[in-house]
Formats: sequence, C-alpha cells, structure tokens
Amino acid sequence: MLEIQNISKSFYRKVAIDNISMSVNSGEIFGLLGPNGAGKTTLIRIINRIIEPDRGSIKLNGELMRQHHLASVGYLPEERGLYRSMTVEEHAILLGRLRGLEKREVKTKLDEWLEKFEIQEWKKKRIEQLSKGMAQKVQFICTVLHDPNLLILDEPLSGFDPVNVDLINRELMAMKAEGKTIILSTHNMKSVEEICDRVALIHQAQKILEGKVSDLQEAAKKGEYAVKFQGNMIAFVNALWTGFEMIEKEVLGADRFVAKLKMRGENNFEDLLKTIMGQVKIEAAWEILPSMQDIFVQEVQSKNNMVHEE
Amino acid sequence: MKNSWIIALRELKERIGSRTFLITAILGPFVILSFLYLLFTYGGEGKQSWNVLVVDPKLPNCPAGLFGNKIMPSEDKTITYQFLNRYVEVEEFRDAPEFQNYDALIEINEKVLSNKICFVFFREKPSIKMQTRIHYQIERRLDEIMVQQKMNISIAEFRKIKQPLNLTYRDVYDPYDTSSDMRSWVGMFFGVVIIVFIFLFGMTILRSVSYEKSSRIAEVLLASVDSKSLMLGKIIGIGLAAFLQFAIWFTVIGIGLYFMREFFFPDIFDPSNFQFSNANEALPAVEYNAFVDLVFERLNLLNMLGFFLMFFIFSYLFYAAFFAAIGATAGSENDGQQFVLPLIMLLCFSVYSGYYAMQYPMSTFTDFLHYFPFTAPVVVMVKLAQGYEPGHGYELYLSLLTLILSGIIMLLIAGRLYKNGILQHGHRLNFIKLFRLLKKQ
Repeated sequence: MLEIQNISKSFYRKVAIDNISMSVNSGEIFGLLGPNGAGKTTLIRIINRIIEPDRGSIKLNGELMRQHHLASVGYLPEERGLYRSMTVEEHAILLGRLRGLEKREVKTKLDEWLEKFEIQEWKKKRIEQLSKGMAQKVQFICTVLHDPNLLILDEPLSGFDPVNVDLINRELMAMKAEGKTIILSTHNMKSVEEICDRVALIHQAQKILEGKVSDLQEAAKKGEYAVKFQGNMIAFVNALWTGFEMIEKEVLGADRFVAKLKMRGENNFEDLLKTIMGQVKIEAAWEILPSMQDIFVQEVQSKNNMVHEE
Repeated sequence: MKNSWIIALRELKERIGSRTFLITAILGPFVILSFLYLLFTYGGEGKQSWNVLVVDPKLPNCPAGLFGNKIMPSEDKTITYQFLNRYVEVEEFRDAPEFQNYDALIEINEKVLSNKICFVFFREKPSIKMQTRIHYQIERRLDEIMVQQKMNISIAEFRKIKQPLNLTYRDVYDPYDTSSDMRSWVGMFFGVVIIVFIFLFGMTILRSVSYEKSSRIAEVLLASVDSKSLMLGKIIGIGLAAFLQFAIWFTVIGIGLYFMREFFFPDIFDPSNFQFSNANEALPAVEYNAFVDLVFERLNLLNMLGFFLMFFIFSYLFYAAFFAAIGATAGSENDGQQFVLPLIMLLCFSVYSGYYAMQYPMSTFTDFLHYFPFTAPVVVMVKLAQGYEPGHGYELYLSLLTLILSGIIMLLIAGRLYKNGILQHGHRLNFIKLFRLLKKQ
C-alpha cells in the first residue's frame, strides 16, 4: 500500500528524518510511535506532500506519490484547526470539496456521520459554539468524509474523554474491517496495543524498531508469569520452593492474591501449574507480556544510553 | 486551479459576510457622494445666499436712481437686492444697526456708465461663484441702461453683438496646462483609491494568513491543496471581495452622480435652468462650478476606469504577494510588524509620488516612478488624467507590462516563502530567517 524508501529531511543543520524506510500494508493499522521531537510529524507531513524530503521517495500502491493521490488520503494533523466562524456543515463542504467531493455528496456523507455519532443537531452550529471535544469529533468526521483508502491520524485521541476514545477506536477498527489502511501516530500505548497490527518506533530521526505488536511483545518478554489464587500465601511460597521465584505479590483481599513469578532452571508454565495445584485454589494464570509502554521506554532508554556511551 | 477557486470562494464568502465589509460597502460610497455634493454645492468658500444693499442715489431726472430700483427681471434664489436712493458711507454701512442684515453694499453713481468702475463692499469675502454672478447681473443691468440711453438698437440686438473675450494664460513650458490642471487631482484620487484598497485588503490577507497559520488550519488545508494554490486562492478571494467592494462603490457613486446631475445640478447641462427670462442670458456653465464641470465634462472617465481596473488588479496582486509572504513567514500573529511598516511606508510613498508627478510631470524622477511597480498605480493614474503627450501612449502600456511582470515575480517569491514558512512557528522573523526561507528546504 504505502512504501517509504530512504527518506531523509533536514532543516538547516538539524536532521529531522534520517534515512527512514518502512512499508504499511493494505488493510492494517500501523502505529507510528516515538517521543516528542523524534520526527514523526515531519514524516507524516512528507507522506502528505506538505513538505518535500531531501532524499528518498514515497510510493502509494506502487506509484510515486503525487498531488492527485491526496484525494484518497485522509489526514488529521496533531495541531488541528477549524475556522471558528464557519458552521460544521460549511466546514465539511469546504474540506470535502477540496478532496474532490461534490457538495451534494458531502451533505449526504455528513448526515450519515452525524447520525452515526448521534450529533445531528451540531450540523448548523458554528465551530466557536462547540467545546474542544466536540470540535475534535467534527475534525475526525471531516477527515474521513471522503472515504479515504489511507488514513493518517496524528494523535487522534488526544483531548477525548474515555467514552469518545472508545468510540473512535471502534470506528478505526470498523474502517480496518472495510479494508482501509490507517497510520496512527499516538502516545496512547493502550490504544496501540488494542488496535495496531504493526508499529514502528522512531527516535532521534531514526527508525529503531518495526514489527507486529505481538512479535515485539514476544521478543521483549522476560519469562514472567502471573497467578491469581485464593488460599494461604505461606503454603503457596513453600510450594514454589527452589523451582520458581516470586518477584512481586499483590493482595486482592482476605486470602486472595496475584503473584508474579519467574521460572528457575528448566521449569516451564506447565510445571508451575502442577506445583501449585492442590496447594491453593487457582483462579487464573498467564504469561506476562511487556506492554508497548514498557517496550517504548526500554528501547528509547537503551538508544539514549548507546548515544551517551559513544 | 479548482482548489484555488474553492479557497477563493470561501474567502470571498467570509469577507462579504463580515460586518466591516457591509459597513464599508454601504457607507463608503455615501461618504464620497456627500463629499462630492458638498464640493459641488460649496465649490468656493463663502456664503451661498447674499443679501445685497444697492446704494443708488436719486438723480435730478430720476428719483429711483440710475438702476431704477431693479437689477434682475425675475427673482434670483441666491442674491436678494434691496435699493436705497441716498448716499451711505462705508463706515455707516459697516456699523449702523439697520445695515447689519446686509452682506454687501454695491455703490452706484452716474459715472459708472462711462468709467465702468463699481465697488462692492463685503463683510465676508464672497465665493468666486457669487462674484461671477453679481458681476454678470450688474453688468447686464448696465448694458440695458446704456442701450436705452445711448444707442438706437434693442437690448436683444446688443447682446447678440456683445461677446465676452476669453483670455487664457498658459505657461510656455506647459502649453496644455497639464501640471496645474484639476484633472491631475482626479487622477490622484483614482490612484489613492487603489492604494487605500490595497492597504485595506492587503492587511486582510496578512491577518487571514496569520490566523490560518496560528490556528493550524493551514496544515489541514495543505493536506488537500498545495501551498501555492492555497496562497493564490486566498489572494484571489480577498481580491474579489475588494473588487466587489469597488464595484458597489462605483455603481452607487455612479447612480448618485447621475441623480445629482438630474436633480441637484441640472444647470451645468442646461443653461436655461438658470432663472433668467432668456436662455441666452444664462451664465456659461464653466463659471458655475469647476468641480461639477471637471467630473461631468472634462474627464474621459470610461477610459480612466478601464486602466484603473487593470492597474488596480495587477498592483493588488503585486502588493498582496508581500502581505501573504509576511503573514506566512511571521513566527506568530504579532510578529512581522517590522516588515509591515516598511510596506505601509511604501504605500504612503506611492501616494506622495502621485503628488510629485502632479508637480513635476516632466521630471526624470517622475519617469522612474511611472515604471517603478510600487508607485506606478498612482503615478500612471495622475499621468493618465493629465493626458499623455502625443506619441507617448506606449509609456502607459510599458508601465502596465512592468507591473504585471513584477507581480508575477513577486507571486513566485511569495509562493516559495509561503510554502517554507506557513508551518514554522515560534520564531522571530528577520532578514536572515527570510533569506533562509527563500532557499529551497
């Protein structure tokens, strides 16, 4: 779907993007992660042809990206604005027409989206009459109004309450199900875990990590497990003996705990279950996968340490 | 181009929906019409109606004095004559309470027929119009008396014979009287209108670009439309609003002038509208009001309007490029003032250059200003009103061509600055920054 090949961009002496290549597959939600100032927004602007790269190329469906391709792209920038004096409908018509829709089509699609979000009464309201969250919903609608095949969203969830975060996530999943491709730049790691298929981590203008969310978590796991049980803690610890090491425990209530464990020697998850079975009443047991938050922090810190050592 | 047009229409819609536009569109022409009305009505200084005391002492064979207590065969709205058949000293007229209602005293004696000397003592200097009118009426009455007393022909026959001498003074270095001609002022007026519109709508471009930049709408738009089309759309849209504003002004002022001509100042076209018994006796129109005559008679307004529109459009595009570039490259909405000030000074200078061209139409510096794109719109308007010398009409087109080329170059430069600067925030604009933004990024 989208191929980013050896993109570099500098602003005077500051390198904003340093030879980044990646590809986004059709019908996937791709997370673009990175700390502030890493170069995510610059890369997104390059994809949207807002700024030109110094080197490299971008291909969309095998063709070099040109201005006319933008009609099939929906872009929601991080710092987004609306004309305060215009109504929601006028705004939608303006942006829809700029993306190649006829006025009539815009009106029909706007009605559909307003109905979906149950905000039909906002149609004739001026932007200045809306709250920040309401305006953000309008911005989201304006971005997807022309039914783009590629959706690029820069921090789409910032400023939304949990209900609306859930609403937007559901919409993104629905779009993915329709075959749309979505690039999501966000700091909301929970959403990344929930909806992203693959991610790329950009740090200090370079891509330092790319892959499936599950693969990255798998690669970063430390062999830790958790057991939720009911029973005597001393009996539980005694049962572990020398085969397992308890790292952490959480008291849930009277005789109810969650224990975090690490294997010793050749022991595995099945051995653990066999060991504690009969000693306590097991409610749940699972392997602990690192969160994307953990992976993000770990990778960024390790990169920073490497730079300091050099 | 389609997207530029969409942007332009949005701008146009926003401008014409604004209160400022409506107020300026409605009030502007009425202010100008009121000004023109005042100029036409009170073209000269002084009171508009006079109460005149004619001191015409009794003669041995004529108790009603030489004039027989009459000057005009019918009533004149602006001058009321009262007659007194005795001598009145100037001091008495000045101080005596019974004469305080009179604006002037005309002294008549029996020698006036031979020496043609007559004094008018006024309290407040009359306008040229009033002076001409009194002069004409007194002379006309004297002609009647002279013909009656000393000639064997009728007054009608005498007036057919008598023709006033039209003696005009001209500078040998300016035989067409271009420099002192009031037409130059009309050219100046057109030039100033261009500059005022450029200033008003140029500042609108600056504010609009700054707003889109600071409110981050620019980035949303740039995802669908390239930066040059966005800038061009904005300039065209605001330009259309300016043009519409001008069209409203032109239409309202045009209709207003037509009504003024028909209902308020008909005498300039039809001498019989003067309240004289005989149409042939009317004052020549040129003496009535020079402003009325200038506006309605002596200017080729249609020709001027054609060139006015062309210079209006291209000088707007030329200056608009500067305003758009400053708005896009400024670090914040308040930044860039140091670049706006020189631009405003250039606009002021272009107004001054028009005045300079009026004073020194043939100077080399005026020639330079005539082609200099910053000053061309005003100077060309002045020169156009003055009239180009035969064989020099090409200068007008050359100036227009220079302006068009300068406009295109400036739009290209502004396009580059716009593209490189519109998404940069938080800096302080200076020449180094401007130069960097001008380079390819």
